[in-house]
Amino acid sequence: MKRAAWCLPLLLSACAGPQQSALDPGGSHAQGTANLWWFFSVLLGIIFLLVFGAWLVPLFRRNRGVDSQLLEQTHRPPAATEWTLAKRVGAASGVTVLILFGLLVASIVTGHAVSQPQSRANGMVVEVTGNQWWWYVRYLNDDASRIVVTANEIHIPVGRPVLIRETSNDVIHSFWVPGLQGKTDLIPSRVTTQWIEANQAGRFRGQCAEFCGLQHAHMALWVVAEPEDKFESWMNNQLKTAVPPSTPDQVQGQQIFLNHACVLCHTISGTTAAGQVAPDLSHLASRFTIAAGTLPNTKGNLAGWIGDPQAVKPGNHMATLPLRSEEVQPLVDYLESLQ
Amino acid sequence: MTPAQSPPLTAPELEEREALRRAWQHPSGIVGWFSFATHQAIGMRYIVTAFVFLLIGGIEAIMMRLQLAVHDNTLLGPHLYNEIFTTHGTTMMFLFAVPVMEGMGVYLVPMMIGTRNVAFPRLNAFGYWMYLFGGLLLYAGMFVGTLPDAGWFAYPPLSGPQYSATKGVDLWAQMITFTEISAMCVAVELIVTILRLRAPNMTLNRIPIFCWSMLVQSFMVIFAMPAVMIASTVMLLNDRTIATHFVNPAEGGDPLMYQHVFWFFGHPEVYIIFLPALGMLSSILETHTRRRIFGYPAIVLSLVGTGFVAFGLWVHHMFATGLPQIGEDYFTAASMMIAITTGTQIFCWIATIWTGRLQLTAAMHFIFGFLFIFVIGGLTGVMLASVPLDLQVHDTFFVVAHFHYVLIGGALFPLFGAFHYWFPKFTGRLIGERLGKISFWILFVGFNLTFFPMHLLGLKGMPRRIYTYSAEMGWEPANMLATIGACTIALGGIVFMVNVIRSRKRGRVAGPDPWDASTLEWATASPPENFNFVRLPVVSSRTPMWTPAQDRVTVVGLRNDRREGLVTTLVDAQPHRRFVFAGPSIWPFLAAIGVTIGLAGSIVQFSWYYVAAALGTIAFIGWFWPRRPFEVQP
Amino acid sequence: MSEARTLNVADLPAFEISNKSPLWLGQTLLCVIEGTMFSILLAMYFYYRLGFSVWPPPGVQLPHTLIPTLAWIPLALSVLGSYWASEGAKRDDRKWMLIGLLVNLAFALVFLGMRAYEWVTLNFSWSSDLHGSIFWAILYLHTIDISGDLLMTAVLIVILARGRYGEQQRLGVHVDSVVWYFLVAIWVPLYAVIYWGPHVLGAP
Repeated sequence: MKRAAWCLPLLLSACAGPQQSALDPGGSHAQGTANLWWFFSVLLGIIFLLVFGAWLVPLFRRNRGVDSQLLEQTHRPPAATEWTLAKRVGAASGVTVLILFGLLVASIVTGHAVSQPQSRANGMVVEVTGNQWWWYVRYLNDDASRIVVTANEIHIPVGRPVLIRETSNDVIHSFWVPGLQGKTDLIPSRVTTQWIEANQAGRFRGQCAEFCGLQHAHMALWVVAEPEDKFESWMNNQLKTAVPPSTPDQVQGQQIFLNHACVLCHTISGTTAAGQVAPDLSHLASRFTIAAGTLPNTKGNLAGWIGDPQAVKPGNHMATLPLRSEEVQPLVDYLESLQ
Repeated sequence: MTPAQSPPLTAPELEEREALRRAWQHPSGIVGWFSFATHQAIGMRYIVTAFVFLLIGGIEAIMMRLQLAVHDNTLLGPHLYNEIFTTHGTTMMFLFAVPVMEGMGVYLVPMMIGTRNVAFPRLNAFGYWMYLFGGLLLYAGMFVGTLPDAGWFAYPPLSGPQYSATKGVDLWAQMITFTEISAMCVAVELIVTILRLRAPNMTLNRIPIFCWSMLVQSFMVIFAMPAVMIASTVMLLNDRTIATHFVNPAEGGDPLMYQHVFWFFGHPEVYIIFLPALGMLSSILETHTRRRIFGYPAIVLSLVGTGFVAFGLWVHHMFATGLPQIGEDYFTAASMMIAITTGTQIFCWIATIWTGRLQLTAAMHFIFGFLFIFVIGGLTGVMLASVPLDLQVHDTFFVVAHFHYVLIGGALFPLFGAFHYWFPKFTGRLIGERLGKISFWILFVGFNLTFFPMHLLGLKGMPRRIYTYSAEMGWEPANMLATIGACTIALGGIVFMVNVIRSRKRGRVAGPDPWDASTLEWATASPPENFNFVRLPVVSSRTPMWTPAQDRVTVVGLRNDRREGLVTTLVDAQPHRRFVFAGPSIWPFLAAIGVTIGLAGSIVQFSWYYVAAALGTIAFIGWFWPRRPFEVQP
Repeated sequence: MSEARTLNVADLPAFEISNKSPLWLGQTLLCVIEGTMFSILLAMYFYYRLGFSVWPPPGVQLPHTLIPTLAWIPLALSVLGSYWASEGAKRDDRKWMLIGLLVNLAFALVFLGMRAYEWVTLNFSWSSDLHGSIFWAILYLHTIDISGDLLMTAVLIVILARGRYGEQQRLGVHVDSVVWYFLVAIWVPLYAVIYWGPHVLGAP
């Protein structure tokens, strides 16, 4: 039931396209950048028209004002003309300097503004670690019992600044959610940071923006901004241990999971599966996409993904399991019960 | 423009010409062909080879566009796509753009400054062979199933030993060595040629602007190319083959160090490509407006200024890496500053065409195309200089749009203009004007159709280097448009090639100076004799060919029974002494073969570097071994 | 056809051994290229150093300073040989060219020998750690350049000894000395950084 409710906004947003545009900001950082963008575009657009227009003028003037005979003899116009031209070129260069200086100031002011937290509300820190080709997400907290680990989908409360602390486990990736903020690279053995903040509820799609290998194209993430109370309930749910299987199908599914190589890479809290090199599956069913934003999270897609990961993301590191066809359904049932 | 009439040769000059023809004759036979050492032959080899690589790079581009035309396409899988975008970028940047500009320089500069050859003809030949072999080495990977696939700049750790286990990246890294050696040979030659072999009285103040641009560009090569050699060979290749730790984070090595060193080269690299195009533009414009270019000192200072400032911009490729904000602000300022030097040149050109008599040939069409496309590209560059804007559009198709606008608009369109303009000089026939203009329009429309939509794609969130995307992103219409545009560009290229082939066979025969142009290359025959001028010219202005024929002075007293030229002083170009050019030799080719064997082997095993050294040493001994007559006869 | 105006250059010499020769300028530019490479490597050395609290990393023996410092003696003497050879080239003095080049070669070989001895006693290689990588890169590149120039010197000695040579080879001797001066001069900052750097910069 809950999942159906998630699907609806997804369907609706599919018509408009997922929100991954820098010009459709959902937070003040992206808004500031978008404003700067419009300012630059308009100003530079005018400059282009002026420059290109100046270039086109001789085409339409058809060499009026030019003494052709004199030109063919001396190959230069009179000295007075040259001096006038010199003054004009000098003036144009001077104006160029001024305009560039203005743009520089606008850029620096905006840049400093959008790299700071925008509001005074309590911030929070989320650690994001890039992997080939998924995002490890960890909500930091002084209280160790309130640390949440998830993958590929980040929830944030509307109106609160969030510091993203970034690094990588393998190659350089780049965390980029255009609706909220510019991108920052995830570099192995370095920590980079950026602030994001949403001022409206919504889902913002992000995508890895530094070429990271075979499945760079399929390394997306979602940031879900929601009102404070919904965010709290999401956090509390994430803090719970994974839901134990309730139906016989799910019990069988859990057995299949624990008996296969899945446990070498994935973690499901409350079970013996504690692998660290792939997304944490404890609350898989609460996410609306799988495979780092590649497919909507439905039973059919999950079955297809588990059955043949190489068909969905060729070259990715997930092993193809030797499942028997009658094992797929229970396994998927179990995984989709992990809200 | 009516062709200029050159006075017929006098009887003594005819005799001199016959002697020169004998002294400068190409050696015959196959071995002879590999021994050519005239700058026109080597220059043309660079240009033709670069053109072949342009076609290959273009095919790769079409393949990429076909894959991206529709969502979730399966034409190219991720591995093949990654190889193709890597080789496309690598081919265009290293195997086309820089070599073609060098080829134009090698061909035109000696003629423009009034001498007979470059200062080191055999080094010139060696540089060409290294370039050719480097390109062949890269594509040899095709035959062993392993092309590089980590992008044209191959960032570690992705390109490092752990994440790129095949030999593809090694091929890429070592190919860089070849192309950089080649570029450095040309740079050294052109600097020495321009500074020491100019025509008498061609003071620094009178050098054609194209030669200034090649001079500045050559100095940029000297200071920038070592950085890419270090990044690709010392850092990356060694990390991959002999376990050094330059970019290995586990041992304190730093992927960002690679980026700094690479981009210290990479930013000047695009100006290395761009400056010669600006120089060609000034040449073409002077002829096509019938007046001396306006603002010669300002243009020269702008070229020099661009050369310097270009070395201070590199961090703008790294704004997303978390560097301190103060540092990034400095690079924003510098990146915007370079718009001033380029802008000044554009204003000088506008001043020139306003006060000249504009001739609308096919070449001139390409110049107009340059202005439209390049200015757009330059303005998006100003946007990218801004850190917050860059952080949104970096590594998206917006950047792809930007650099194609500046590179194709800023370098390729002037280059095509240059081909149309200098075609009669290269081949002796005029290129077809009608087909030339048609090819221009197809290329112009195709280009904008391909790359303008990419600005929007970037703003709508489409990253670079992705082999596919899903339907819901809404990127398909723009991608389809871009693919149609790419096919249009291909069509324009085909029309251009048809024009070239037809004109070579049936174009109107051109004399030495069909455009009544201003610079010295138009005093040579079309195509030029190997020795360029029967008698070297003496100049008295920036536009020597616009000096009336009866007022021109020529040099006598050089020996015509051997390859002789004139060394002049640095600033004032006063005759200093005579100079004997090296003649044809097979040794540059053999040296290149030896070095290639060693460098290719070094990808597999470090000790092959010693093989390269040994074979290279043997070849250089042969190259420099004294030959009779030992003494230089006066 | 009226008399065309001409400039007669027949009296100009056809050759010259000096710093005004195009070959000298070309060789200098090649040295500038090498110098740029070394400058970048030095910059890298400092950049990497900034990333460590202890340099070289623990477990690495500090590079010796004694032998490389002593090695300056043969190096300086070899420069003298280069100078004699170069002056001999300008005067067309075969004896001095040969003496100069032989002195240069002999002392340079002593220098290389001392360097080889130092190499085998270093307790780290290029793959030990980052310090090893950058240290060896700088040292190795310089050694390769020196060896290359020595090969050139040896070939010139053979040519001069045979007696069959001309101005071009004398110019070669003169230009060879330019390369040697460069390689010795560039060794000053390189030596200072890689041998004394850890002592001066290494403290945590």
